[in-house]
Amino acid sequence: MILPAILLLGVAAIFWPARELRSDNFVFYFPSAHHLLPFETVSGVKYLPLMQLLNMVGKVAAVQEKKDEVRVWFGDTQIALRPNGPSVEVDHTQYDLLEPVRLSDGQWMVPVDFLTTVLPHLTHQDVEYQDGTNRIFIGDVKPVSFTVRLDPIANGARLTVQFTDKVTVTTASSNGKWIMYLGDHPIEPMEQSYRFQNPYLSELRYDDQDGVPKLILSPAASGLNFYPVEAEGGKILLADVLKPPLLMPQAQQPQPSPNPPPVSAPTLPQQPAPSVTEENPATPPGPPLPVVALDPAHGGTDNGGHSSDGILEKNLVAQVVAQVRTALLATDKYRVVLTRTGDVNVSAEQRALAANLSGAMCFISFHAGDLGASSPRISIFTFQPPSPPAQPPPPTFLPWSEVQESQSTQSVQLALTLQQQLAQINGAEVEQPSTAPVYSLRSVDSPAVAVELGRLAPSGDAAALTNPAFQQQVASAVVQALAIFWKGGTTP
Amino acid sequence: MTRRATIFFVFVLVALGVGGFYLRSLSKRVFVEPPRAEQAARAKLSQIALQPNNGTTQVATLYFPALDEGKILPESRSLTWAQADPDRIRQVVLALAEGSHQGYGRVLPASTSVRAVFLSADGTAFLDLSSDLLGEFEPGIESETLAIYSIVDSIALNIPSVKRVQFLIQGQEVETLDGHADLTVPYVPDPSRVKSSQ
Repeated sequence: MILPAILLLGVAAIFWPARELRSDNFVFYFPSAHHLLPFETVSGVKYLPLMQLLNMVGKVAAVQEKKDEVRVWFGDTQIALRPNGPSVEVDHTQYDLLEPVRLSDGQWMVPVDFLTTVLPHLTHQDVEYQDGTNRIFIGDVKPVSFTVRLDPIANGARLTVQFTDKVTVTTASSNGKWIMYLGDHPIEPMEQSYRFQNPYLSELRYDDQDGVPKLILSPAASGLNFYPVEAEGGKILLADVLKPPLLMPQAQQPQPSPNPPPVSAPTLPQQPAPSVTEENPATPPGPPLPVVALDPAHGGTDNGGHSSDGILEKNLVAQVVAQVRTALLATDKYRVVLTRTGDVNVSAEQRALAANLSGAMCFISFHAGDLGASSPRISIFTFQPPSPPAQPPPPTFLPWSEVQESQSTQSVQLALTLQQQLAQINGAEVEQPSTAPVYSLRSVDSPAVAVELGRLAPSGDAAALTNPAFQQQVASAVVQALAIFWKGGTTP
Repeated sequence: MTRRATIFFVFVLVALGVGGFYLRSLSKRVFVEPPRAEQAARAKLSQIALQPNNGTTQVATLYFPALDEGKILPESRSLTWAQADPDRIRQVVLALAEGSHQGYGRVLPASTSVRAVFLSADGTAFLDLSSDLLGEFEPGIESETLAIYSIVDSIALNIPSVKRVQFLIQGQEVETLDGHADLTVPYVPDPSRVKSSQ
């Protein structure tokens, strides 16, 4: 009698419908920042961890947890929840939820409709949430939206993305797709994805689940070329997807363009899908321009150094990089790839990958730190490995961690050129280039340097470095240096 | 109340008092955290390293950073050497953490503790530092580079059996010291970091 019962229970356990459980991110956009919050999907319902949620939007003053209830003091508001309870009590007022509260592994989880039902009463701010999406706008956030159009053109298709406000776009290619990063401005797409019945482009999808707003384009076939350009000051993005012409015997070598293109291009003139066939030498509509990879160090939870007046290294170098980028694009002679857009964590590997994928002519990483008493002071570093390799690597294999060593001669030349130009900045002390074991340079497959601006230290202010005139001079010096470096010299 | 009841009441009160006192002392023994064995062992090792009984006193050369010059500067220091090389390595690092006596830059925060030191047969010293140093460290390419070479060059110069130094933080291999300097591979000494006397 017992044995059949056990068997029956075993069979029932096998066929019992498994609870669908997976994790993803919810993006919270505030007026000056955005944060990610992982959520769980339980049987099709999104659940957010209550404590993390409250700590993100404000300050939890106290928590009183009992077996069947939790009370949270949030500012001057008291919130009470019960496991499996269909409502939340806020200052003795009940708010009904569409799904019950859950207690999962000791963590209080609230369903996603908590955001619209309860959160506005806690934050006393506007909360804008479009049902079905994984993003929410809290406070005075004015997200940018966009429309999409695809038109046929000769030998391809033209994608037009029109934004409601100016957006900074940088591009990259990854896993056979083209990615257009949309800066750090909050974006609220009208549609999450657009599908096309077209031989050139099959899908455009908006994604910000890693905190980085971007459009991901899926080409409909391999071997297509992609030429994005900005127009109307960044309000319109035009991207031509073209079938490459057959191999021409006199293919042109890429050279800096003496004639600027009609509109300033965001970054990459061409991002062929990785499966480019051999008879596909890209012959873009305009002459291809050299790519400069600019690396604002740190970001996200990694602040880097800081000064006595509260200047964080991550923000300072982002400012400087923005100036350098603007100055470079103004010449119409370069494309610029940023390894970090917005205040997000980016690993050293991701930074190197962004530069390597773009085929950058050089990589300049900007830092700020303590360089001694004088300020402004600038040091330029090329990569020096902590240990010389025990034996030279076989010619067929070079580990990524040693790639930069093969570029050392060019990197030193770039450093010298930069030093000569930066030394012309009024009042700045610029050291002779040096070497350092800079981790973020070691996997970059192009001439690479780290520029450290000083002094940024807790014992002094950063006024000399935040001075817009100084930053502008740094940007101009970089432009001058790259013009000389590209011609193959270290002196004008 | 009868006499017997009074005696019983007093007895119960005394028993409750004794019981309460016993429970209080018991709770202290149960809940007061005993000194952590690991911390105690580290403190003892540092004590041994700093005050060796039978060692010889010699002048050691320590290096300290000079951020203004982008170099490391030598400073002489009398140290009574321990017998074993790992203890000597610990001595050098603790002397560096103590700071320069001549007003040079700081290598490590004074709160840095050396968790462990191993010296392998091929001359690689594994130096495991506490994560306390990161909280007080000045991040930066130059500051981290000079701090690292101050340690590596100081150890290698004074303890010739050390050929290279692999840094660990809190027992783990980490990517960088504080966001800049590569700590994934061992460091060989670099005499070119030392400011020349000329």
